[in-house]
Amino acid sequence: MESSRAQTIARDVLAVLVVAIFMFPIAWWALSSIKPYSAIFDRSGPVYTGFTPTPDNYRVTLLGVSRVDIGMEQGGEAAGVIKGGASSYDSRQSLLDSAIIAVGSTALTLLLATLAAYCLSRMQFSGQQSFLFWILSQRFMPPIAIVIPIVFMFRDLGLRDTYTGLILVHSLINLPLAVLLLKSFFDDVPREVDEAALIDGATRWQTFRRVVLPMVKGGIAATAVLCFIFSWTEFLLSLFLTTSIRTVPVKISTFVTSTATEWGYITALGTSAIIPSFIFILLVQRHLVRGLTLGSLKE
Amino acid sequence: MSTVTVTRETPRWALPRFMTAEHPFPWLAPITVMLLVFGIYPLAYSVWLSFHKRNVVSRQLDFAGLHQWTRAFSDARMWHSLETTLIYTFVALAVQLALGILIALLLDTDRKGYGVLRALMTLPLVVPPAVTGMMFLLMQDGSFGVLSFYLYALDLISPAQPILTQPGTALAAILLADIWQWTPFMVLIILAGLRALPKEPFEAAAIDGANGIQTFLRLTLPMLRKVIAVAVLIRGVDLFRIYDYVYIITAGGPGTATETLSFYAGRIYFTGDFPYAATLSLIVLVVLIVVSNLFVRLFKVRF
Repeated sequence: MESSRAQTIARDVLAVLVVAIFMFPIAWWALSSIKPYSAIFDRSGPVYTGFTPTPDNYRVTLLGVSRVDIGMEQGGEAAGVIKGGASSYDSRQSLLDSAIIAVGSTALTLLLATLAAYCLSRMQFSGQQSFLFWILSQRFMPPIAIVIPIVFMFRDLGLRDTYTGLILVHSLINLPLAVLLLKSFFDDVPREVDEAALIDGATRWQTFRRVVLPMVKGGIAATAVLCFIFSWTEFLLSLFLTTSIRTVPVKISTFVTSTATEWGYITALGTSAIIPSFIFILLVQRHLVRGLTLGSLKE
Repeated sequence: MSTVTVTRETPRWALPRFMTAEHPFPWLAPITVMLLVFGIYPLAYSVWLSFHKRNVVSRQLDFAGLHQWTRAFSDARMWHSLETTLIYTFVALAVQLALGILIALLLDTDRKGYGVLRALMTLPLVVPPAVTGMMFLLMQDGSFGVLSFYLYALDLISPAQPILTQPGTALAAILLADIWQWTPFMVLIILAGLRALPKEPFEAAAIDGANGIQTFLRLTLPMLRKVIAVAVLIRGVDLFRIYDYVYIITAGGPGTATETLSFYAGRIYFTGDFPYAATLSLIVLVVLIVVSNLFVRLFKVRF
């Protein structure tokens, strides 16, 4: 189809504009994180430029510098800034908590899901479709429906407020995605590969470990990234199941207090939380659509 | 491919057949245990809870038959939250699907630079939903929010009635966060669908002199049916159990205006009335199971 030069340019402009609109909230957020207090809360209008960028919000949340020290550096002028909000804004422990839980649950999910996915892709047994649907149905479970009994269960098992508890729950939520996605990657490997290995005398386990598994490395990486991001961004379960462990999303929500909403710290920690996920997602972009549709669509 | 070293010894004792790697059992046992213990048991416990009642004096749970269920069905607040959830789900789905298709068509070209635009569109997807809620809270703040400011300037909203204090606009505020975060999901999936379409029918249509809109309605849309069905199913389920944005942006307010069913269940949970909270959350689950099953059958979605 021939399109005129004017049409081409119009399309480019529109495309850039649409993407820019979608980028605006993130840009505004990142911009706010380097604004001084007065620029964030300016009631006369949005502040885009004309403020002195400050690393203070990052120093407090990521480096654990106390607000009082920063107030002292700035002299008396900033004294009014230090008010309200009793909780600690040092978020280093939260970043560590989130990382431990995300890595732990990703590892556990992959371990369980790879075994199941290989079997579901390669072996025929009665009730296979029902089993798949049962796993899928877990994905439809509203977190709120399982969180209430899990609170009681974890209390009895001593798992409340532990890394293990949250790792188990995040794995549970991630398993359906991981199994269906990995199954679709195993399905891409022709069955003849397995048959050849088996004929050569390898056992089923050796065929899986040494022959098929290395062939789906890319798929496993993509699955891992999606599991990691889910756990890293999950909110509701972490909110209900922990009190002293505070994952990053929950930590951020505690910055909203009845006396003050600390937008500087919120935006600084929020920006820091997005960066690792975005880097990861770019690495597996090729498999993203397959991941988002639980393996039912391939790109 | 590397050579596989085979070491097959004769075992001194033989495992029962279902324990060997030839049988599905050892492959599926770990995940089954996990799903039974942390998926099915809590569900069964929820159901058990929903037939009980908290005894305030003895702090015990007494059997109460259908009490919680009749209570739920005569609870005006439950019906209101269900209605809010349904409105939320349908509006968000419709807007995300429409925008998703339009933006996907816009970005579906091999010209230079569009790869970068498509990559940027994935960015909202990795923002933690709690952070998304915060982003929109910041932008929609009544006194210093950037979005509020422009809406005041355009005279669309009066500064006397900030976005988050009015029932209608408060729900729109939550929807906006959802639409921002999840339209890219639709865009990516539909883009993948567009890329997988065969070329021939479109060439034929062009020869027959079909215009852009005709081609889209008669050819592109029907061929994207399966892709759209999958996207709508996955998104619809997530929308119906919405919790995070509501918790962060409005906390159900003003009053109970933006309370969704999941959020209402959570709120009851925090009052300590666990049996009723469990009952409400089971209603979410039952609706989801029934509707998604119908949907899967109707549109023949396969995983």
